[in-house]
Amino acid sequence: MLNRLIVTMLVVAGAVSALPATADIAVIVNPANNSTLTTDELTRLYTGRSSALNAVNLAESSPLRSQFDEKGVGRSSAQLKAHWSKLIFTGKGTPPLELATEAAVIEHVTQNPNAIGYVDVASVTDGVKVVLTLN
Amino acid sequence: MRKSLLVLSLAVILAPAAVSADTSINGFASIKAGMTTGSDEQLYGYDDTIDFKNESLIALQIKSDLGEKLSVTAQLLGRGRDDFDVGFEWAFISYQLTDNMTINAGRLRTPFYKYSDFKDVGYAYDWLRVPQGVYGLGFDTIEGLTFYRTAQLGSVDSTLQLIFGSYDGDATLSGNSVNASIDTITGITWELAKDSLSARFAYLAGKTSIDTAPVTLAPGFTVGNLYQALNANGLTPVVEAVDIDDESSNFIGVGLTFDDSNWIAVAEFTRVEVENSFIATQKNWYASIGKRFNSFTPYISYERENNDAVVSIYQPYSNVLPPQLLVPLQGLVASQERDASTWNVGFRYDFHPSAAFKAQFSSEDLQTTDQRNGVLAFGVDLVF
Repeated sequence: MLNRLIVTMLVVAGAVSALPATADIAVIVNPANNSTLTTDELTRLYTGRSSALNAVNLAESSPLRSQFDEKGVGRSSAQLKAHWSKLIFTGKGTPPLELATEAAVIEHVTQNPNAIGYVDVASVTDGVKVVLTLN
Repeated sequence: MRKSLLVLSLAVILAPAAVSADTSINGFASIKAGMTTGSDEQLYGYDDTIDFKNESLIALQIKSDLGEKLSVTAQLLGRGRDDFDVGFEWAFISYQLTDNMTINAGRLRTPFYKYSDFKDVGYAYDWLRVPQGVYGLGFDTIEGLTFYRTAQLGSVDSTLQLIFGSYDGDATLSGNSVNASIDTITGITWELAKDSLSARFAYLAGKTSIDTAPVTLAPGFTVGNLYQALNANGLTPVVEAVDIDDESSNFIGVGLTFDDSNWIAVAEFTRVEVENSFIATQKNWYASIGKRFNSFTPYISYERENNDAVVSIYQPYSNVLPPQLLVPLQGLVASQERDASTWNVGFRYDFHPSAAFKAQFSSEDLQTTDQRNGVLAFGVDLVF
């Protein structure tokens, strides 16, 4: 029974899931923010190693979220969740605020001078400034 | 009393009015099952009948941000092996002195190892369990104070931790649960990380007392009886060399990690010394390597434990002591000898955004008694 279970798990693990179409991602800040940003700094902000800006995330259900985790932070969503669970359950950190839609991210960044977020490049508005484009 | 605590905490959680906007509730759970591969084998609390309770656990954490850089965190955890009786695993207040300095006070995790802080959060790592050859020491929590300072030294991330406090609880000695305490624990840990590499160093010292007297050496003959007989024979120095009464103790831990998102390699070495007692100096290490294939992470690890019995305690008295005292004394000292190596193979499979399935086979070769013990375990770790 156990053997069959393990074989099943291996088969499931081996099955390649269909990848969603990838979009270019714009990393956005408030227009009042004049700083530049490197991908290294972006990783630090989204892994809790820097709090220079207040990072916001899209909800896990958003397809752009997993693309950003890979392209922007360089880790899979599961790896990032494991990383954050280390910080949460030792009282060392709180993960970025999660917002349900790209519109909510844009609104949040427009209203908060210290915020940083990301949206599909096609969704960018005049209310925010693009500091980095991930493709 | 513990049950009423659970009811109380559930009541707090379920009452929406009590949860303010600045209070977050998170949790984690592990449901695991395992059994040994042979009928006369025992390892990690398993025998040859499948057991779903031994390594299963569930925890709830409440963190409330009180503003002005002050927060309070409580983590309630129930272990299957304790019939899921709930206790406070962490309970502390935290004050952020500056952007990179924090002080915590209350019940904290003893920072012996790289994975100490989150060893119960199985979701946070790939193994089914942390390597028991190194992590099996006990003394997991401290009541006291800890200070963290993070810094960037060039391109290296530095985390310095100072800890001060005491331990008062149980210890396991030759299979018996006995009262134990460590007073005036002072310690320092320092972790450096750059890109895929990180290194960690830990040093802790304190005064250890373990009540060995109730431990049974032979039917109707305890360690306490042995001490009485030795004292009655004018051999108080032997008693003092054996017992664990306010003894200087120290712990050294060194860890190295490589994680480039594809490969993950970890190694830790630890050394534990309790001076002037029958506790052997413990020198243990493990090394582990895993490879991530999307959601599937197989790994293999090796653990080594090498503890020599402190035979120098009784050797000067071998010709003086009557056999009815020498033999149990030799037995007590020899009980600390341990020479074991363990291989583990297993995998983690992230089948869900918040949950991972794991399976692990462990084979321990206990050279001291020339016995082999194997355990097969599997289960799910999740966070919520």
